[in-house]
Amino acid sequence: MLTNPHFLNLAIQTLRRNQLQAILAILGVTIGVSALVTSIALGRGAQQAINEQLLAVGANMIVISAGNYQVERSQDSGAAPADHGFIEQNDSITQHLVSIPQQTGSYDLSHLITTAEYNPANTLRLINTHYEDDPNAEHDHPTAAERLGDTMAGLGAAATLTLDDADAILNQLDGVQFVASGVHENARVQQPGEGGRSWFTRLHGTEPDLPEIRRGWTFPHGRFISRSEYNNSAQVMVLGQVVADRLFGRGVSPVGQTLELWNQPFQIIGVVGSSSWVTQPSAGDDQFDAVYVPVTTVHTLLNLSKLNTITATTRSAGATTQVARQITSLLRQRHGITEQMPDDFTVKTQAEQILGDGLPPQVARVVAGNMNTVDNITIEQLSTSLQRANATMMALLAGVAIVSLLVGGIGVTNLLLLSVTQRTREVGLRVAMGARGRDIASQFVLEAVALSLMGGVLGAIAGVIIANSLEGVLQWSTNVSVLSTVLAIVVAALLGVLAGVYPARRAARLDPIGALHHE
Amino acid sequence: MSKPVISMHDVKKIYELGDNKVHALRGVSLDIEPGEFVTITGASGSGKSTLMHILGCLDRVSAGTFKLNDKDVSNLSREELANIRNKQIGFVFQGFNLLPRTTATENVEVPLLYSRPLIPAVERKEKALRALEKMGLSDRADHHPSQLSGGQQQRVAIARALVNEPSLILADEPTGNLDTKTGQDVMQTLLDLRESTGITIILITHEPEIAAYGSRIISIRDGLIVSDQANTRPPIPTESPSLAAVP
Repeated sequence: MLTNPHFLNLAIQTLRRNQLQAILAILGVTIGVSALVTSIALGRGAQQAINEQLLAVGANMIVISAGNYQVERSQDSGAAPADHGFIEQNDSITQHLVSIPQQTGSYDLSHLITTAEYNPANTLRLINTHYEDDPNAEHDHPTAAERLGDTMAGLGAAATLTLDDADAILNQLDGVQFVASGVHENARVQQPGEGGRSWFTRLHGTEPDLPEIRRGWTFPHGRFISRSEYNNSAQVMVLGQVVADRLFGRGVSPVGQTLELWNQPFQIIGVVGSSSWVTQPSAGDDQFDAVYVPVTTVHTLLNLSKLNTITATTRSAGATTQVARQITSLLRQRHGITEQMPDDFTVKTQAEQILGDGLPPQVARVVAGNMNTVDNITIEQLSTSLQRANATMMALLAGVAIVSLLVGGIGVTNLLLLSVTQRTREVGLRVAMGARGRDIASQFVLEAVALSLMGGVLGAIAGVIIANSLEGVLQWSTNVSVLSTVLAIVVAALLGVLAGVYPARRAARLDPIGALHHE
Repeated sequence: MSKPVISMHDVKKIYELGDNKVHALRGVSLDIEPGEFVTITGASGSGKSTLMHILGCLDRVSAGTFKLNDKDVSNLSREELANIRNKQIGFVFQGFNLLPRTTATENVEVPLLYSRPLIPAVERKEKALRALEKMGLSDRADHHPSQLSGGQQQRVAIARALVNEPSLILADEPTGNLDTKTGQDVMQTLLDLRESTGITIILITHEPEIAAYGSRIISIRDGLIVSDQANTRPPIPTESPSLAAVP
């Protein structure tokens, strides 16, 4: 019956007979549905904006380092108890923060670094690097043995991460979006020939996906390492902004030129800078006072097979802690670590990384001892409260949308009641010809649905237009999804059913004799 | 003798209006055989409309028995009554009661929409066209009521009554809104229909001239049948009274 053109025709007649009322009723539904579509678009847009900001900050980033300096430290120096129960001794944190630097002079490795911009964060990293480095004396950088002294850092477990581990993390964990493995060195790069300028900087052996992880990156010149260069261990190099400025001058494109590293020529293919004013490139920082080469090239030239770090991003910022936990158990399983044994790697989320980077190593260690909690109350908490604020706004908008839908529904009900009155005689006639109560009822419900659907489709179109204009004019971020638009139209149809129920019941209960003689 | 189409015995109908009880029918007994053309006359308030509603299964008796085609319909549910109206009774109402902005064919199809089991659209259209053809309206099948004359509209209404091949046509003041000439045309159509199909027709009217078309005329007054007689001299079909009046 609902597909019968006869009854659709009737709906159109109702509309024609009461044009003004019909227009008002449809308008009501249109407003309601467009409000619904717009509010969903605004909510989703805000959600997306929040997520993108958090991703750009790196809230979804997890860094896995070889070795477990927490275990090593607590046994070696005893400077800071690394057990996770430490946070409970809240009143003593300050005391530790103050007292630690005096106790742990042996960790200050700044004398090994010749660059003027000594960065404590680098020192922290050095402790984490493994000692598998080729001790080839020809290299002009300190070997692992020199840097680490007794080479016992990480309990000899620092050469623990492999490219296979990186692949496993990418392929086996659903929440992981991108993975870039890395080998990190300090190295001197220099322009070829006599009197060429040189610069001592951080060297990152990495993968082509790294820019996907570092959302805040731009490439003022050239590009990042390609997949084929990675596969072929090509001697190509991407310079950080700081390095490019120091060696070639500000604003000059070094792309196509050559730099020497480990007495090997590397072709410069790009320069990486920051798109965010928050993280301006500065000398000594780890991202832009640095050069990037394929990790495979580093492995080949230095005859290495292990990684220092694996950097991964999660698909959503909120899942970072959970994914970090999954990575820990995956790696423990892959490395065959039994339950009682400590990890032979360190998993840190970006929150921990940020804190660690900005602090002297000793303080960072103290903080690191309570990492899980710190992580929870910083980025994720921020994420949650932003989401919650957004949800509140969405609920408010949705409330407005629902009220206007309700008003639209009442308009449809009103029109249908009018129609029932006008067509009492027709109802009587149909009943005489054998229509049952439910036939009459479904006819009127169908009319209500048809009217509401018209409003729904118009409202969906209007909603999309409004959302786009809000984005264009007010620069509010909106996100119109096909699903929500379809949903809004379905809601309109359901509204029609609800709006039609009462008039339909009235029509179905009309006394046929009275209806037949109704004038 | 075949079974009667209508068999009523001592039917009473009492309406309760507040404290008042209105005895619309006080004991009507009536048998109507297949093929009869019965006209029921009576003044306003005589109970003829009530009788018509009961005959049309639109209302139920308060007392007595009413059999339609030998089936007792006194105590059927609303749904069962709807089905009987749909299958066995064709209604022709005063005023044409056609749906506006709907073609003649679609108007005729309406009873078929309510038939159970459902009738496919193609078959509905075929049946509707056949019924229109019987009424000589094949060339008007796609016309809207507003494009048809009064007589044509009434013939569409009759086609609609016939479309489900009922055993009984129930006409309630079918000529009420028509001028004399058109009214006669409609009566002629009904006579021809009875002639060609042998269908039973019950017609309610307050006009004696219209009642005179019946093969049997029943008069009703105060809820009782006061006369019930065969009419041996129905009016000459083709002759117009206005011409007959001329000497």
